[in-house]
Amino acid sequence: MAQAQKEFSVVGKSVARIDAFERVTGQAQYTGDIQLPGMLYARVLRSPHPHARIVSIDTSKAEKLPGVKAVIHHENAKVPWSSGGHTHQRFIFNNPVRFVGDAVAAVAATHRHIAEDALKLIEIKYEKLPHVLDPNEALKPDAPKIAPSGNLSVGKGNFSAPIEETWGDVEQGFKEADRVFEDTYFTKHVNNAQLERRVSVAKWDAGKLTVFASTQGVSNARTDIAKDFGLPLSKVRIVCKYMGGGFGNKNQAQDYDYMAAVLAKVAGQPVKLEFSREDDYIGMHGRWASEQRYKIGVKKDGTITAVALDAVTNMGAYRKQSGNLSGTDFYQIPNFRKHIKPVHTNTVVAANYRAPAYPQSVFGFASFLDQIAHEMGLNPLDMFMRNRIQKYKSKIPFTSNYLEECITEGAKRIGWQEKWHKAGALDGQKKHGIGMALGGYPYRPGLGAATIRLNPDGTAHVLVGVTDIGTGAKSTMAILAAEALGIPLSRIELTNGDTDVTPYSVGESGSRTTPFTGPAVIAAAEDVRRQIFALAAGQLKVKPEELELRNSEVFVKSDPTQKLPLQRVVARAGELIGRATTNRSFKDMEGKSFCAHFAEVEVDTWTGHVTITRYVAVHDSGTIINRLAAESQIMGGVSARDRHGVYRRADHRQTHRGTS
Amino acid sequence: MNDKTQGTKFSRRSFLKGLGSGAIGTAVVSTGLIKADPAQAYTPETTGTGRAKKSLTLKVNGKSYKVEVEHRDTLAEVLRDQLGLTGTKIGCDRGECGACTVMINGRNMYSCSQLAVWLEGQDIQTIEGLAKGDKLDPLQEAFIEHDGPQCGFCTSGQIMSGKALLMKNPRANEAQVRRGLSGNLCRCGNYNREVAAVLAVATKAR
Repeated sequence: MAQAQKEFSVVGKSVARIDAFERVTGQAQYTGDIQLPGMLYARVLRSPHPHARIVSIDTSKAEKLPGVKAVIHHENAKVPWSSGGHTHQRFIFNNPVRFVGDAVAAVAATHRHIAEDALKLIEIKYEKLPHVLDPNEALKPDAPKIAPSGNLSVGKGNFSAPIEETWGDVEQGFKEADRVFEDTYFTKHVNNAQLERRVSVAKWDAGKLTVFASTQGVSNARTDIAKDFGLPLSKVRIVCKYMGGGFGNKNQAQDYDYMAAVLAKVAGQPVKLEFSREDDYIGMHGRWASEQRYKIGVKKDGTITAVALDAVTNMGAYRKQSGNLSGTDFYQIPNFRKHIKPVHTNTVVAANYRAPAYPQSVFGFASFLDQIAHEMGLNPLDMFMRNRIQKYKSKIPFTSNYLEECITEGAKRIGWQEKWHKAGALDGQKKHGIGMALGGYPYRPGLGAATIRLNPDGTAHVLVGVTDIGTGAKSTMAILAAEALGIPLSRIELTNGDTDVTPYSVGESGSRTTPFTGPAVIAAAEDVRRQIFALAAGQLKVKPEELELRNSEVFVKSDPTQKLPLQRVVARAGELIGRATTNRSFKDMEGKSFCAHFAEVEVDTWTGHVTITRYVAVHDSGTIINRLAAESQIMGGVSARDRHGVYRRADHRQTHRGTS
Repeated sequence: MNDKTQGTKFSRRSFLKGLGSGAIGTAVVSTGLIKADPAQAYTPETTGTGRAKKSLTLKVNGKSYKVEVEHRDTLAEVLRDQLGLTGTKIGCDRGECGACTVMINGRNMYSCSQLAVWLEGQDIQTIEGLAKGDKLDPLQEAFIEHDGPQCGFCTSGQIMSGKALLMKNPRANEAQVRRGLSGNLCRCGNYNREVAAVLAVATKAR
């Protein structure tokens, strides 16, 4: 839903990505494409057991293989990996190993095949330990303990347990309800499966560590590595120019960055550590699985009076992220109680994947609302419209909220009124259905930084720490700079993702890049403009505040015929540098983007085959910076996710299992 | 699996080798991983024929390159590691994702599933050979205009599959384009854009 927008020259238009040429010609250099002189290749050996103590590890045969330069494991490389686990200490190699795929050793060799060969020569004696894979089993008192404190994943702050949230009076809300429904929904672990396998290239130069990482955040990767290696920030450089997708599982620095750094130190040569696709699936993380038990009270007209959500989320062997479920965020719930137990099991770790805490319970809650509408003889469209969120936690206003318009527009476009029918209305092998759900994501401003260098010829360099994980962040920042400076986009050059060169960036996750770094780019542009106007004021013999800059021309606002080309103004300035660090926030308000999605499906009841015949997504995203990229993001989100939804099917016991 | 084991490593190369000798255990494709008889998979290749080296001449983008490869080196590895043609990406390294797609004698092929030693004298085209200097191929132009790349990691492969299709069928319709790109995964989910780009070139040819 487009909000009323100011007149912009580039913002809001459909603009080709500034790095599209590099991306369509194969010139874009991703981390795995980097070749350094003398570089070694590294591979990782992983545990075949879900829970085992390593009794002995013999690397002598591997080390004797010609070409092998370094072998590291838990005994000779006890390096902490702080962000890998927040409830119990995690190292890059751990003993005991706690899931199939837990890293056991890494080898660097002159050729990747030699490194692979060497892995097979490492001899490990394991003592198998009892293991538990199911989160409910893991919570039983006699279950094998994975974390020292137990399998309920108790950490600090964001990693506390259980996760609890409550407002209003839930019991009173259920009393006020005409009917109370209870049901359970399940979702399974889903791997991010970004196309670029994890890879890291590390080198040391006189005590300074450079990691060419495939990361979603160069600044926080630097912070992590500096902390865990005991290095000052100035002695760690992280570079990431192009990134082949992560969807949340390349946040910060990961164990493979650490392993590459340690191997490079041991070998005294640069090291490229590559994950195989199998490593990627079993070694890192995917979206947390969940079991969501809902109790929902509703009035006869469908109005929700209370919701209680009791859930278990399977975080795997380490707590890397919250394990929360937030899909109820898009509904007006006067009385609410949430109680979620994030649980450790001997399975691969679960953490961030595109909108981490949302899809699981967007699916669960919206499916249940649709079911309740069915049981009460209500039209689901009315049910969703009636219960759409208007105020956060029933009392705090949003910075903007066009959810109602999203629902109305989407219903019109999918043809809800003509197409919706009660379940069971059609005979025959093929059934037709139409459904909807509400969604969105928090919008929060925060700490950002940017530098803009204006050259004497009127072109500009924008320096930002952002990595471009596919969202078009580089283009977004360049567009904002062009708009705020008043020069054409073609005169902007953007340098990104290098902690030695570019300023701080929060990290390209959580939909934060534009609200965090965007304001800093605008403020840096304003800083440059002030300097330009100070120079031009003398040349045009007016006061700086009487000047405007548009399309690379500086002119007097009251008389635009009095003007100078920008390059004449700055020709002798050497270089003008504008900088800004911004940290915006809002008080007593909540920020969120919103959307309403509609799907029409055909189900072959003989084969179970589901076809999505039509899909409509209507989004309230605030001011659109680049229409082309924004549309790609939404379409991409839909097509990457639709399979998660399709394969979640209901069985006959009123429980709903995800199988994706 | 016994307690003394070398881990869970299993490479696509040993899978290819298994196919060659007809000794693949159970090749089950379920979650994108191929399972095989562990005993087969864990056999160290240190003395196997895979490590034998061979000199050969590869014809890539019209130029000839003399290379020395191990028998087990895939075309994708040789293109990237030896020739520096890193526009060809490796996504799965097991013939499923299509990021490594190149054209061999005008057909789109997974370069991760072709051993370099098989390809002496064959006509190999990679993404780097598509533009003529700074002049992009119309399909590359269309990919820019239609926002084909998001993260861009699948883009080279998508373009090479699209190009192979258009060379065979310059006026391909939408169904043909979708089938032509069906061997190329895009985890950003940008399929509509990629199809639109190929279709735009096909439509102009009509």
